[in-house]
Amino acid sequence: MARGTTQIIPLETGEARYAPLANVLRVETNPVSLVGPSPTVDEWGRDARLISVLAPIAHARWDVAVGGEHHLRRGAALVVVNTRRFALTPVSTALALSEALGRPVRFAGRPDIVPFGPFLRRVGGLLADPDEIAGALRAGEIVVLGARASRNPRHAGAIDSALIAAAVREHVPVHVAATLGSMISRQARVEVAAALRPRRKRRGPLAEVELAEQAQRGLQDLLDELGGTRTAVPGLGWLGEG
Amino acid sequence: MRGQRVLVSGMGSELGSLVASLLESQEWVGALEGIDIDPPRRRLRKAVFHRIEPHDRARVVEVVTRFNPHVVIHVAVWEPDARVNTVTARQLTHDAATSVLGAAAECPALEHVVVRSAAEIYGRARRSLTRPDETAPLDPTSEFGRMAAVIEQTANDVGNRAGVTVGALRLAPVLGPHVPSPLGRLLRMPIVPFSVLADPPFAVLRDLDAADAFVAAARVGLAEPLNIAAPGAITAWQAILRGRRLPVPNVGPEWAITRRISHLFGAPVPDHVVETLHRGRLIDGGRAREILGVSPTVTTPEVIDRLYAWPSVIHVIQPNTQHRGAA
Repeated sequence: MARGTTQIIPLETGEARYAPLANVLRVETNPVSLVGPSPTVDEWGRDARLISVLAPIAHARWDVAVGGEHHLRRGAALVVVNTRRFALTPVSTALALSEALGRPVRFAGRPDIVPFGPFLRRVGGLLADPDEIAGALRAGEIVVLGARASRNPRHAGAIDSALIAAAVREHVPVHVAATLGSMISRQARVEVAAALRPRRKRRGPLAEVELAEQAQRGLQDLLDELGGTRTAVPGLGWLGEG
Repeated sequence: MRGQRVLVSGMGSELGSLVASLLESQEWVGALEGIDIDPPRRRLRKAVFHRIEPHDRARVVEVVTRFNPHVVIHVAVWEPDARVNTVTARQLTHDAATSVLGAAAECPALEHVVVRSAAEIYGRARRSLTRPDETAPLDPTSEFGRMAAVIEQTANDVGNRAGVTVGALRLAPVLGPHVPSPLGRLLRMPIVPFSVLADPPFAVLRDLDAADAFVAAARVGLAEPLNIAAPGAITAWQAILRGRRLPVPNVGPEWAITRRISHLFGAPVPDHVVETLHRGRLIDGGRAREILGVSPTVTTPEVIDRLYAWPSVIHVIQPNTQHRGAA
């Protein structure tokens, strides 16, 4: 039976009596269902069931508020986010956007080494390779790309123009998304901006170089507008900056 | 377009005979001939078959030049450990490519060549693309991949010299009830090894969808390489559970032992199958519909389900001799 459709069980059958029990069992044994035979990997290796199992753990760590997701409702898009070292920002942003949009969102930057590479592929990871990103964008996917990691959470790092080139080549809009979070707090925010509009039309490689610079500036502006995260504890507000 | 003479090399194989049977019903096909080392596996009504060894070049040239085809569909590719071992497969494939494609180049009427290639041609080296499209660099990392690269190179060489168009269909692993496939054979074993740390996704292809793609490629005059894979993907773990087999987790080094044990039990595991189970095998087949007008209809999980649905032994009921005697 297709997912999301209602199963109609005739009342005269004995099966009807057990349906509520079956439903309860299915919800309760969701983590165990990972060992179930029904395939849930898509054509890029993302495992929807694994993500649904990991969702409670991710929610325990992060409470992410997403804004501006209406900019990404349809079609392919490249979303550039600010990142911090060891913060897994592209992963958490992709998961949060995926939940908000109700469609798969992938992130670039998985390693190709066992076991981390295969695991991250299961949660939507792609290699940080222009051809890999271009292939996903061509297939109509949303891809989250991290800027270079910075120490200060409110500074946007440089963006690799070779990776932006994938979006230019595939004529896909590039968005910037500011992420605010802290190492010690659950609260996090992702704010997606409207698609960037290149100031000049370029035919050559300047297109991606200028677009990458524009994305970095746009990201910095967005971070400045959002302000920082602060704790509510008097005198210790700076801790929120992580 | 009507009245085209079509030559199918490898007509004796399951895929080749499927292609031939589909071609027989095409209006644009005027005459159909085939060459292979084995006779066709299904009844063909119009096709003329020539049983020739691939190394018998003189006879292949004689038959092909006499037929003078407009279109050559080259399916004579031996997958390692499917019907013969890797060394023999390499030799037969090389001989067939040289003799058939070489003979085709001598035909004045030749307009178009379609060759069977494989998804293994992209290789699965570190940092290779998860889902390569046709523009991805070729870096074969298995024997079958290297064989596919040689076939494409030979066909392109023939195309350049004879001034004809060449199309290559890079097929995902083809599975079907009668297709000899080392991957299918391994997955049908009662105990199946899989890579526990990676368990990567792969795509497969139903034999009939592959045959449809060949016929469409010949009809439209495909002049470039094209990926063909069933929609969707599956991992070895999920396939094993769907088939209710016993999974044997492998980490890495013990694959060498596993391969030998599996070979002893009748399912040799060539390097490209180990690569599929260890590194995955996905290809971007999104252009098939746009270029050929057809695309695979059966999804990868469905192909795997059918793999497990095939009966291992088909019982043929003996006719009732008493009744026959009475009559």
